[in-house]
Amino acid sequence: MTEQDIIELTNQVFEESFEIEKELLKPEMNIFQDLGLDSLDVVDLVVALQEKFGIKIRNDERLKTIRSLGDIYNFILALKEENLSLNALHKQE
Amino acid sequence: MKDFFVLLIFNSIFYFLFLIFSLIGIPFFALIVAFQSPFISHRNAMKKFRRAISWYGLGVCKILPFPFVRVYFKDFDTSINQGPFIFICNHRSASDPFLMAYLPYEVIQVVNIWPFKIPVLGFAAKCAGYLSVREMSFEDFANKTIKLLNSGVSIAAFPEGTRSADGSVGQFHSAIFRVAINSGYPIVPVCITGNENIPARGTLLLRPGVIKIHKLKSIIYDEYKDFSPYKLKNRIRQIVIDEIKIMEGQSDV
Repeated sequence: MTEQDIIELTNQVFEESFEIEKELLKPEMNIFQDLGLDSLDVVDLVVALQEKFGIKIRNDERLKTIRSLGDIYNFILALKEENLSLNALHKQE
Repeated sequence: MKDFFVLLIFNSIFYFLFLIFSLIGIPFFALIVAFQSPFISHRNAMKKFRRAISWYGLGVCKILPFPFVRVYFKDFDTSINQGPFIFICNHRSASDPFLMAYLPYEVIQVVNIWPFKIPVLGFAAKCAGYLSVREMSFEDFANKTIKLLNSGVSIAAFPEGTRSADGSVGQFHSAIFRVAINSGYPIVPVCITGNENIPARGTLLLRPGVIKIHKLKSIIYDEYKDFSPYKLKNRIRQIVIDEIKIMEGQSDV
């Protein structure tokens, strides 16, 4: 999965779950101040991201530092890379 | 210089009367309810207590600041629905909770932590069952709110969570809208303008002015049942923003 795929899938989550217009989905947008999400909406967002990417992120401490849409792209990208490394390690074992 | 004296006279008179009215009015209303309570049900006692709070609120914002502050309330809801309702209000001033007294229903408010710390008033709010949303989990908040609605009590919430610094309508928190979706009660947007300096954020200084309150058409469950909480809060926020634009564009009431 490329970085562009992650951006597109994340944007899909925002469009489908929150009906946010595509034009607003820019990396610099603050998800709280610009897009209007609150802590309860973030729970919905996490569930939707988990479903979309097939990953577990609910208890990840890094979630607390997320402010912008760009932070989410980077977070998912980092998670995907970590999962890939773990899978490779398991295969070697 | 003239403005300074007007402010001085207005604030001196208001806060003097406010102190006297609170010192006499609150114990008076509380005693009336307390004397009746052994002879009526708990539910009726609470109803009377909340009504007493509304009378107190009306006194504070209708009588005490007159003629320096005038309040105009308009009800645009022509439906026959008697409630309970979920009132969604914009929040510009510390006077907003007092203005809820204009809503002709048994209402409790969803408030921040600080109003509970105001001597006497905070205690009365706690006794009336006002909800300190930041001091409870969402599940707890939802359960308590739905229980109140089911018993016929309307809820007034300020989903911006804090007073607006510049008059704009801030982003809404979704908790009360999740409760609406789960409970199915009608939502009523309430727009307040003109009180941004009565008093302004960060001060107790009251300035003369005209406050307008518009209670808009209720939005019944069928109209929003398919909405996500995010979509619902933003839809209601937009209704509030649009109405405030109209209210502030008007030259007279």
